[in-house]
Amino acid sequence: MDETESVLIQRCQAGEKEAFEPIVRKYAGRATGAAAVLLGCPQEAQDASQEAFVRAWRHIQRFRPDAPFYPWYSAILRNICRSRLRRRSRRPTVSLPDGYALPSNDSDPVFLAEQNERRRCLFQAILALQPMFREILLMKHFQEMSYKEMAEALDIPIGTVMSRLHNARLALREALAKDES
Amino acid sequence: MSCDAFNRMASAYLDGELTAEDRRRFEAHLETCDACRRELADLKRLTEDLDMIRFKEPGDEELARYWSGVYNRLERGLGWILFSVGAILTLCYGAFKVIEELIRDDTVSNLLKVGVCALIAGLVVLFVSLLRERLVVCKVDRYSKEIER
Repeated sequence: MDETESVLIQRCQAGEKEAFEPIVRKYAGRATGAAAVLLGCPQEAQDASQEAFVRAWRHIQRFRPDAPFYPWYSAILRNICRSRLRRRSRRPTVSLPDGYALPSNDSDPVFLAEQNERRRCLFQAILALQPMFREILLMKHFQEMSYKEMAEALDIPIGTVMSRLHNARLALREALAKDES
Repeated sequence: MSCDAFNRMASAYLDGELTAEDRRRFEAHLETCDACRRELADLKRLTEDLDMIRFKEPGDEELARYWSGVYNRLERGLGWILFSVGAILTLCYGAFKVIEELIRDDTVSNLLKVGVCALIAGLVVLFVSLLRERLVVCKVDRYSKEIER
């Protein structure tokens, strides 16, 4: 972690809320994008990522200033998104009739740095995957974690990481093929 | 080993996560199998596309709004804690006074006294039980370790 961030964290631990602002600003974009992938719902992403920053602030005393902030934050964010998904699955839902499509502005990938048709479709296909697959694709491709890091973060064996990631890619490829046809 | 078994190793091969021995076996199989080579090339294209996706960095105005949202929640968090502590203290004091008055008041029937006491005792039991449950869940929650770093 760069020295500035370490100093900012120490100031946060001393209770200076202003020192938290540069940290929030630095990671807001990728945090919101990550929440969109984890939740499969861009509309809820900002709220979840903000909640994760609030939780990180409340527990900042337990954080080692010499450690990188984002991996710690993203673990908190993952937990928040998992809780939200659990709550969502308990809530009764009304299924949409076949052939019903959401309005395009609701599903635009506003989180992507560069947009083109291929990436737009890819992002939409990721959002439509099951949560377990979205999570592992996020860790590998957006957070560039190694298999060992993913295994530790998810508390699963490396072999499971390998097969889950492979299955996620196959599911994504299948979803894209379906879209194209 | 079957093509299917080799295919399952394709992702790990592309990610550079196979052991030296598995990598050698995988590459030896690729040299002899067109279907697996095609499958690997297809998967490679997909992973390259995925690696190209980057999240957008918000503009200054968006960031200011975002930070303001976080800051307001931080402030409100403290507000809620103070409010909760204040409410609990006030309610406890009020309940104590009500019970005290009731017990001293001879005009109130014993049945009502018992009823009110049971109501308040029930609330206390429910509150303590809820608090205990939250503490136990917090201790065994496998995700709470994520905070401890």
